[in-house]
Amino acid sequence: MKKISIYRPTTVDDAIQILSQHGKQAGVYAGGTDLLVRLKNRLDQAPTYLVDIKRIQNLSYIKDDGQGGVQIGATTKLAELADSDLLQKRYPMLVEAIHMISSPELRNASTLGGDLLQEVWCQYLRGGYSCWRNGGYLCYGAIGDNSYYHSAMGGRLCYAVYPGDAAVALIPYDARVKLATPAGTKELTVEQLVPGDMLVDGRIQSHVVRFNEILTEVTLPAPKLGLRASFEKLRPRGVWDFAMASLALRLDVRGNTIEDSRVVFGGISGKPLREHAVESFLKGKTLSADLGEQAVAVALANAAPLKYNSTKIDMAKGLLQSGLVKLNGTA
Amino acid sequence: MGPLSAVLFEPVGCLAEFSPEPFHEIAVRLYGRKGKASRSAGREYWHLLNLMEASDSGSIEALEVEAADGAILYEDVLPALEELKAMGVRRLLASSLCDTAITRFLAKCPHQFDAVWTRANARGIKTAPLAHAIEAASLAPGHAMFLTDTAEGLVAAKSLGIHAVLMMNDPDEAKRLATHEPAGGIVSLHELPDFIRFIAGRYAT
Repeated sequence: MKKISIYRPTTVDDAIQILSQHGKQAGVYAGGTDLLVRLKNRLDQAPTYLVDIKRIQNLSYIKDDGQGGVQIGATTKLAELADSDLLQKRYPMLVEAIHMISSPELRNASTLGGDLLQEVWCQYLRGGYSCWRNGGYLCYGAIGDNSYYHSAMGGRLCYAVYPGDAAVALIPYDARVKLATPAGTKELTVEQLVPGDMLVDGRIQSHVVRFNEILTEVTLPAPKLGLRASFEKLRPRGVWDFAMASLALRLDVRGNTIEDSRVVFGGISGKPLREHAVESFLKGKTLSADLGEQAVAVALANAAPLKYNSTKIDMAKGLLQSGLVKLNGTA
Repeated sequence: MGPLSAVLFEPVGCLAEFSPEPFHEIAVRLYGRKGKASRSAGREYWHLLNLMEASDSGSIEALEVEAADGAILYEDVLPALEELKAMGVRRLLASSLCDTAITRFLAKCPHQFDAVWTRANARGIKTAPLAHAIEAASLAPGHAMFLTDTAEGLVAAKSLGIHAVLMMNDPDEAKRLATHEPAGGIVSLHELPDFIRFIAGRYAT
């Protein structure tokens, strides 16, 4: 494992100061389920100085915001989210998705912030290949085995998929995040947080968080009346694996008419992929048994599968169809 | 790799879909090549260049022109070239094809190159057009990249100190060529502006 030094600040300000001092050599350490693997694999982008934020007070909580919404501290463990009655009551689809992340053991250690900002799990990156995310200038996933963890929707130099499930499930709820930065607090939507491959501080990453910024909170607005949501995930193994395709679906239904929707695919693109074409199609439609089939016809028109992963598109379309069937039967 | 200020393009295999047949036909007629043509125009073309380099029998320009006429420009070429222009990156065409073939090819993408080098004005093939393009543009080789989809193209660029970047048209072929240690690789021309931006961004930090 790469040699490291650990800082244990007790305030967010101190943590930011340390991160600023060490630049790209430093990284935030919370659950460690992604970071420690990166260190073990001696990846080029793995930090040398870890800033352990677990001692910072008030970063781990799930609380009612007083307006029908919920605030979640970034270091809250995924297991706590999975067991939260408050979340289950207001955002059951999010809880459903959290239950499908990794294994119970890892959910006990992993944090929500870590899940949102995790590095991609391309086997070539994790295997130490000199790819775009590991100091090189070539994507081995684009030309190698891309059956599972690579994009079927094109790429931007790196073709690994964004691996997180939490972001996919948070976007339909219009969730937002707060970042602590040297210039103060910055707020973004989750969709803005993980826009896919970006060059940030000279590194390719799926999120926009800079080296001296810390994700501190995720906020969910009060769920609307008539909101129906579902999350489904297909993976190579029935438990403990990343999505080959997933779908978080939200419908705002009045009577039997869809007034608004969010259609977000995971596991098929370098970002949680919001499918606006399907959202537009669904607007004003009546829930019916054959709506899924019609929606599939307009979905993922820009698909650009690699040699071995066209099946991901079929999977994603299947999830859309089954998701709409499921929500059709949900009052 | 440091910041790049120029890209050298060989049309065959990187800018357009060429048929391998005319290049194979030249190799058969002038050099007695046996067997079927490769499915890859790039491989057939560079194989022909190897034969031309090894002997003095020249080429058949009419067949080169036929290849250029039949070439279908990749759909991402023009947007990528326009974006490179806007970025201030010099776009140099450096080919071992004859003048007439290149003139016919350029009709498909007019006014897109800052300089054009062929085997006629470069007075040679393979490395000659690349070397002349670099020299005439007063470029340090390390500030330029050459896009290629063949092992010979990688070798030619490297021998001049130019960054050899793999055009990964065919995944299986690209996987093989990745073992030749290219400086980098792209799947599509639309990635090329990002490729150059990302290298500049990484270098700046």
